[in-house]
Amino acid sequence: MADIVLSNVHKVYGHVVAVTDINLAIKDREFVVLVGPSGCGKSTTLRMIAGLEEISAGTIAIGGRVVNHLQPKDRDIAMVFQNYALYRHMSVRDNLAFGLRNRRVPADEIAAAVSRAARILSIEPLLDRRPHQLSGGQQQRVALGRCIVRNPKVFLFDEPLSNLDAQLRAQMRLELKELRLRVPTTSIFVTHDQTEAMTLGDRIVVMKDGVVQQVGTPLELYRKPANRFVASFIGSPSMNFITLRVSADGEHFALACHGWQFRLPARRFPHLGSHVGRSISVGVRPQHVRLGAPVNDDQIALNGAVTVTEQLGDEQLLAVRLGDGEIRIAGADPDLSLPTGTQIEAAIATDHLHFFDELEQI
Amino acid sequence: MNEKTRFMLALITPAALVLILFQVVPILTGADASFRNWTLHDPKRTWVGFANYLHVLRDAEFRDIVLPNTFGFMIATVACSLVLGLAIALMLNNRFPGRWLVQSFVLLPLMVAPVIAAIMIRWMFNDQFGVVNAALEGLGLAPISWLTQRWTTFAVILLTDVWLWTPWFALILLAGLQSLPPEPFEAARIDAASAWRTFRYITLPMLRPVMVVCIVIRAIDAFRTFDIVWTISGGGPARATELFSIYAYVEAFQFLNLARGSAAAVIGAIVIVVFALLLYRVLNRFVEVSK
Repeated sequence: MADIVLSNVHKVYGHVVAVTDINLAIKDREFVVLVGPSGCGKSTTLRMIAGLEEISAGTIAIGGRVVNHLQPKDRDIAMVFQNYALYRHMSVRDNLAFGLRNRRVPADEIAAAVSRAARILSIEPLLDRRPHQLSGGQQQRVALGRCIVRNPKVFLFDEPLSNLDAQLRAQMRLELKELRLRVPTTSIFVTHDQTEAMTLGDRIVVMKDGVVQQVGTPLELYRKPANRFVASFIGSPSMNFITLRVSADGEHFALACHGWQFRLPARRFPHLGSHVGRSISVGVRPQHVRLGAPVNDDQIALNGAVTVTEQLGDEQLLAVRLGDGEIRIAGADPDLSLPTGTQIEAAIATDHLHFFDELEQI
Repeated sequence: MNEKTRFMLALITPAALVLILFQVVPILTGADASFRNWTLHDPKRTWVGFANYLHVLRDAEFRDIVLPNTFGFMIATVACSLVLGLAIALMLNNRFPGRWLVQSFVLLPLMVAPVIAAIMIRWMFNDQFGVVNAALEGLGLAPISWLTQRWTTFAVILLTDVWLWTPWFALILLAGLQSLPPEPFEAARIDAASAWRTFRYITLPMLRPVMVVCIVIRAIDAFRTFDIVWTISGGGPARATELFSIYAYVEAFQFLNLARGSAAAVIGAIVIVVFALLLYRVLNRFVEVSK
């Protein structure tokens, strides 16, 4: 069993608070992704789990054992670094074997473990090369090999794909998923890329300014973001936000801004009642805005002029002026000709509206 | 000739003139002198071919004393300074209270002129008034005539050079250590590498390019050492601690045979050029290997 439990973990550098009160329980063999913008504390959290950073307060337990004061070597973890951190003067074989030699594993066992890891990652022909003779993707595989060769309880990944180009990154994502099936191990993966987070994680932890914003499965985060930050961070293109003023209108709530207004039935959106007379942020994903007039009462209409189009081949992304702001629409027919200034009508299913106050989803 | 070329020439000419007048011409004059019969008291200046070179190469003093002294000194001083400098750099690479004080203290010898250091050391090792012998006597040991025997004199010269140059090694190796990426060391911590294995298999190979550059620069420099040997022993006792440069100087300005002195200097120059090229090739190979 290699579950990981973080309880009230804090990290402070002098007067700078890097991580605040993290509580997180990661199940055995679960793949958890820590995601957030630069400086949000995700790498610091990972490094505290690895033992490369001291914990200012709280406890970290791996496999039921508190590891706060254990050296990294005694935590039975393996880590892939952002720049791979391969030993550049050693061959690939020696890179893989180094950790085992340090632990005085018999030579025949080392040879067997290295062969096994090399076979799993298809790097057998590279074993006698040095890291500088390998491509970025091959170096990445060697870094993974250095992890799996020891058969540790936990894998830690610190933005391991961020140095690769987009195509290789997509390929390595797939390889990581395949690796998970072959070597199921508790894993924590740090990234600032929401696509990596969505595709790799069993669960995702979204962080900002050292604070956990939400923990959930990729779909939970996508469908029910806890706050505006999570809503904007998860999903691509990111969610549209429009500030609207709520007012009561008989059995409806009217939401309005300059140039756009619509009504929502009060019985379906009772939680808006407490915001009457105030402004709230309404979020809608670009994928949930459809061109064309509403087809039923559960859809609301919006009208505006096209400002920019982005042709992606299988779809077009549109930016449409709406009052003082702009709304982005995904999934438009790529063959549609929509010159700047074209007036369009679009519809949004009310189920796809997200309402946020300053702190969280309403 | 366009304006750009004229401007370029105007910038280069003063430096080129100085170089030619004070470097190239003296070297050519010296090289020319080495092929002639040219003593100061009777400068015939007749062409003698390689006679002066053969004399120097056949000279037992040169072959049995100067050559081993020069290479022995070069190897010993570079090796000792490197090991001590590396040890100090490793110590200073850790954070501890008073590190900046220690660092400043360690770097002090860099600020001392070699001749001053040599005079200081000569007095410290003086037979009768030296503090070293006073300390030995204080410990109940017999005083040693440091500067009257070949190997003790050699050791004192070596000590002076190591004392002068260890901080230089420490400074450059410390800069090298501080520029190493932290990740391989963190990976080694996770890989359960002991302090010794981290040093042996991570630090040392990664620091190798810096070390090799230091070794080459310092080895060439040590080869042409003059000041501290001249100040401490004058090449004595009985020419036993002469190095290349002292030998050439003594031939030219004490025995007043400018031709032989020049021949010795040219031989020294050829030896150091060959040696430097060999070292450079080794350097390239090492740097290639440690990529």
